[in-house]
Amino acid sequence: MYVGVDVGGTFTDAVLLDRGTVRASAKVPTKEDLLESITKAIDEILKGVDSSQIRRVVFSTTMITNLIAEKKYDRVALLLIPGPGLNYRYYNFNTEAFYLSGAIDYRGREVVPLNKGEVDAALANLALKGYKKVGVVGKFSPRNTSHEKYVAGMIKEKYPDWLVEMGSQAGGQLNFPRRAETTFLTCATRESYRYFVSSVRQALAKREIKADVFILKADGGTLPLENSEEQPVETIFSGPAASTLGVQALIPPGETAVIVDIGGTTTDLALILSGQPLLSARGARVDEQLTQVRTLAVKSVPVGGDSILERVGKEIIIYSERLGPAYCMGGPLPTPTDALRVMGLTLLGDQDQAREAMNILGNPIGMNSVEVAERAIGLVVDSIAAEIGKMFLEWEQEPAYRVWEVLQKKKVRPTIVVGVGGGAAGFITRIAAKVGCAPIIPPYAPVANAIGAAVAKPTMQVSLRADTEQGYYIIQEEGYQGKIESKLFNEQKALELAREWLIRRAARYGLKVTPDDIEVTRKEVFNMIRDWTTTGRLFDITVQTPRGIVFHIGEEGGQK
Amino acid sequence: MKKFRCKQTGLIFFPAFDWAISPTHPEREERLLYTRDQIFEEGIIDLPQIAEYTPTLASIHDIARVHFCIPQVENQITEAHLIAAGAAIVLAEQIVEGHIENGFALVRPPGHHAMRVVHGNRGFCSINSEAIMVEYLRRRHGIKKVAVIDTDVHHGDGTQDIFWHDPDVLFISFHQDGRTIFPGTGFSDELGGPQAFGRTINIPLPPGITDESVLYVVENLILPILKDFKPDFIVNSAGQDNHYTDPLGSMRVSAHGYARLTEKLKPDLAVLEGGYAIETALPYVNLAILLALAGMDYSSVREPDYRPERFKETPERAAQVRRSVEKILGCWQMRDQTPLDPKRIDGKYYHTKKDVFYDTDYIEENQLEKLRLCDDCAGHLVIDTRANHGCGKVNHALCLSIPFNACSRCVTEAYDLYEETRSSGRYNFVYLQDKSTDTFFGYDEGLRREWRTEG
Repeated sequence: MYVGVDVGGTFTDAVLLDRGTVRASAKVPTKEDLLESITKAIDEILKGVDSSQIRRVVFSTTMITNLIAEKKYDRVALLLIPGPGLNYRYYNFNTEAFYLSGAIDYRGREVVPLNKGEVDAALANLALKGYKKVGVVGKFSPRNTSHEKYVAGMIKEKYPDWLVEMGSQAGGQLNFPRRAETTFLTCATRESYRYFVSSVRQALAKREIKADVFILKADGGTLPLENSEEQPVETIFSGPAASTLGVQALIPPGETAVIVDIGGTTTDLALILSGQPLLSARGARVDEQLTQVRTLAVKSVPVGGDSILERVGKEIIIYSERLGPAYCMGGPLPTPTDALRVMGLTLLGDQDQAREAMNILGNPIGMNSVEVAERAIGLVVDSIAAEIGKMFLEWEQEPAYRVWEVLQKKKVRPTIVVGVGGGAAGFITRIAAKVGCAPIIPPYAPVANAIGAAVAKPTMQVSLRADTEQGYYIIQEEGYQGKIESKLFNEQKALELAREWLIRRAARYGLKVTPDDIEVTRKEVFNMIRDWTTTGRLFDITVQTPRGIVFHIGEEGGQK
Repeated sequence: MKKFRCKQTGLIFFPAFDWAISPTHPEREERLLYTRDQIFEEGIIDLPQIAEYTPTLASIHDIARVHFCIPQVENQITEAHLIAAGAAIVLAEQIVEGHIENGFALVRPPGHHAMRVVHGNRGFCSINSEAIMVEYLRRRHGIKKVAVIDTDVHHGDGTQDIFWHDPDVLFISFHQDGRTIFPGTGFSDELGGPQAFGRTINIPLPPGITDESVLYVVENLILPILKDFKPDFIVNSAGQDNHYTDPLGSMRVSAHGYARLTEKLKPDLAVLEGGYAIETALPYVNLAILLALAGMDYSSVREPDYRPERFKETPERAAQVRRSVEKILGCWQMRDQTPLDPKRIDGKYYHTKKDVFYDTDYIEENQLEKLRLCDDCAGHLVIDTRANHGCGKVNHALCLSIPFNACSRCVTEAYDLYEETRSSGRYNFVYLQDKSTDTFFGYDEGLRREWRTEG
């Protein structure tokens, strides 16, 4: 049996899955004391179940997202080595940054050495300012980690109690500002994340659950709980990933669908293209800054059931703010939820209050409550439908760098619109009609997020970069730099090497991977030609364990 | 530093990582690899000043508006060419529609050596992306006057050939002296056809010149000419092979030099042309140009080995450049008073003989070009072209081109000539490019088949 637990800001949801069916589900308010909420949710779903039957427990949490949003983390200084290029004043980090000289180029060659005296002075300055957490990030550091390692080494020597993170490990892809932001967040959230992990451990220990425990990542994969402490930011935005995977499990395989999660203040849109959730081309955006965290493409539209409705002249308009619950639930102003209540599309709140809310808007312009409600629902539907159109357009217009990528760009349109979240029931049919799709509100929609967590698969990737001219290779995720001894190093060998490292890394994380399971998600091979002869090859290879979900709900045979 | 223009700079980055002329050719997959690394690592695409676009394919019709591809467009191109030309079109359209301030098509393959008639690939080019984009803008967006400034180290002979007779397109190219480099043309007496005299300007420069002289040419020659000409749209054919590390060129221009050039020129759209120092120049020059277009500080973009003191202009070279600038400026000022060469006039036509060599594909072409001298329009053009591909393969074609604002007489005469030539059987191929109605015809004598495309 599989357990999924989604620890959200307001509710903690849990489900128990057994052979492709939902055996039990629970929804309890999230309290300050996480341990209490988690234990309560687990107790509800495990009533009368032998805990030794549980094979796996997966958690998803908005804890890190909320910490960052509320800026509840320790101060972190960034020590950056930007080298020549774009003037670093254009970068805009959410924390104080200090700059060091030194430079590495795109091939990982040292162009400007570090200045030891300058590093000393910078560290003394940080100490003076009271920083104890430092992110060290260099431009092109994933291509040569020596500068970062040197500075980190100096910190460990002089200030052994400081927490240091290196950019090359926190964010190994090309993009210096995103790497710096990712490193900063890793540094900032690590300790608070430990609190979450220990709460989870205690809750499970109390109930004597000895199953494997995983945590959901933003890209819809999972990590063993233990190892997730290395990269806490990976868990950011796992909330939307959870509901997307949940829907993936609740709809037939292979569908192209839009998921519309209508909440109180915002509506989250996600795409499933031919059965696979769409990954964002860019990294997760946190507090206005892009990071290198791989994430599902989720678009937040500032419209929800509690958005404010107002009359301006003869028009009814909708604002993105929320000033409390709907009027029919004791709130201050008319909202789309009131409109739904008037039309009988929801049973929340008080019918008379809702009608009164509509009349406040409609009376001065001679519209009755039903007309106003109709108009208000139309506004929500129109804005969400427009965003769905835009989302597909954006996906089509993502840059392509190869001829075949440009040629294979096709127009794909969804066939179904899936509604989840509190406001879905009232709006989804109209939204689907507007975008020409069939509407679906799957059973268990209110706990789709916990189902998504339960069915998520462990994923892991390894990126290898090899430069045969310079005779070295790098495993980005491990921060490992090794020598290429053989003159016969070729594509085959590079792939084998990447697979070996993936299997090794997976083993460290307690995951068993066989070579046949491994997918190659990126393979770039460039011949380096100098003066008309081949002087070497560059390989950029990323391998990963397959993405996907363990099973679909209601699938024949279900779980293995 | 958070202040920026309200409109963004558009970027299309299309490195064609799966396209090469041949595995070891300078125009190969690897060419923009390090540029990609640099631009991605800097996080340029995340900046609010930059908007990245994705290219679409130019249509066969868009190409037929410019080129006579023999036998047909499809025979001379690959998808990569359509994407490179399409990228220029996408950005140009965004610019004239006012969505972006300016743009940089950082694309391969290049195009500025591709002439009006295309028998094969020359100078790494098959079709001319800038010309295709310019004609697209004129046809679809009513843009009237365009200036193309070619800053590649090689003479932009393809673009020159295409706009030679066009009074509404100003073509200016500065480049390394043709006596020392491919394609061996671009001398200061190449000034344009009889109806567009002075609308082609060539500034051959002695090998070894530095930023200083290039900027001198821009400030003292190109900018004053642009001021007189008043173009609606400025294109920069931004070759990067004037760089001091380029393996093909012998100039000594730096990334900063390119940035300052861009800043002064203020092109609406820059399109990448040549530049083959793929590690030592391209990552820096491309970044510098992009930042200059976006009005951003490029002062910290510099090549690792750049030492400004090693790049001082010699007084001799500086003086030589000053002299030729003065001379060429004189030609520009006299552009409307220069009489036609009477020896070239035969009845209503003005004749030019040309030999073109296709270095990549090893084809020799002889052309006899006749321009209909007309008082009411730019006149139609008749090109008799014979291309020797070696091994006894010779393609003989007649190409007729009717300009955008052709008078009815020039249109009728050209159509009559097309019909007449088709039935004569004297040519393997006959083409009629009618820009006035955006209709293009082709005829294959061997297959006895005609085709046409319409906009």
